[in-house]
Amino acid sequence: MTMKVQEIMSTKVETIKPTSSLRATARALSNLNVGALPVVDDGKLVGIITDRDISVYAIAIGRDPQSTDVQKVMSKEVFTCNENQDIYEAAEIMKLHNIRRLAVLDDAESISGIISIDDLAHVSRELAGTILAHSQAIH
Amino acid sequence: MKIKDIMSTNVANISPTASTKEAAHMMHDLHIGVLPVIHDNKLIGMITDRDICCKVIATGRGAGWTKVEEVMTKNVTTCFDDQDVTAASNLMISNHVRRLAVIDHNDTMVGLLSVDDLARNSHDLACCVLEASTQQH
Repeated sequence: MTMKVQEIMSTKVETIKPTSSLRATARALSNLNVGALPVVDDGKLVGIITDRDISVYAIAIGRDPQSTDVQKVMSKEVFTCNENQDIYEAAEIMKLHNIRRLAVLDDAESISGIISIDDLAHVSRELAGTILAHSQAIH
Repeated sequence: MKIKDIMSTNVANISPTASTKEAAHMMHDLHIGVLPVIHDNKLIGMITDRDICCKVIATGRGAGWTKVEEVMTKNVTTCFDDQDVTAASNLMISNHVRRLAVIDHNDTMVGLLSVDDLARNSHDLACCVLEASTQQH
């Protein structure tokens, strides 16, 4: 079975600007019921921010959520795949970097979606299960 | 396979009157995303990194003065350590959660069971949980 990333990814992904505050980003993550948002500047993907970055990392390093920009705490190294890649390759990237989501880019390098381990689970229990079982998080 | 065979033990916990800032520090230092809240040796709630993001920071509260008990989840889904792992998977599916607190028959918390722990035992069980999840990504 071969299947492309674009067949199973989430499209219509909301994004956030690098200059948004952590508080505004937290509100967006809450209202959209998502755990991560791509950070986009001038149409280019420049980072990714998660609920954990905002709560755990920002608080631990003593950042004020109202006056701190997303760009100060986001992950700048974003793991991506191309929408035309096979889902097996996407799964390999997740496994290699111990992550559960990838930003998906089109051929123009613009973000076209997000693929998560949940999306993989719907089409291949073997792929998703292997990533989970391999994960390093303690709990 | 029993839950106690695959659960995480030696789980760190936090007091309900601790600040959410302290909880965030613990989650950071221990590389974890959830802390059981224990009062008088009894499990009374759970707090996650997402709770702190959505219920403290998003609402404009201060993590230094917001107590864990104000934003923790009080209805914790639990299972017994001697139940079968398939029972745990069913509980996660019906409650749309990815982690369970594990208690013994004295009502003492003895561990945590995550969907990751299930996956190490059965890809099928773990993936049923992911498929039932309600979060978008």
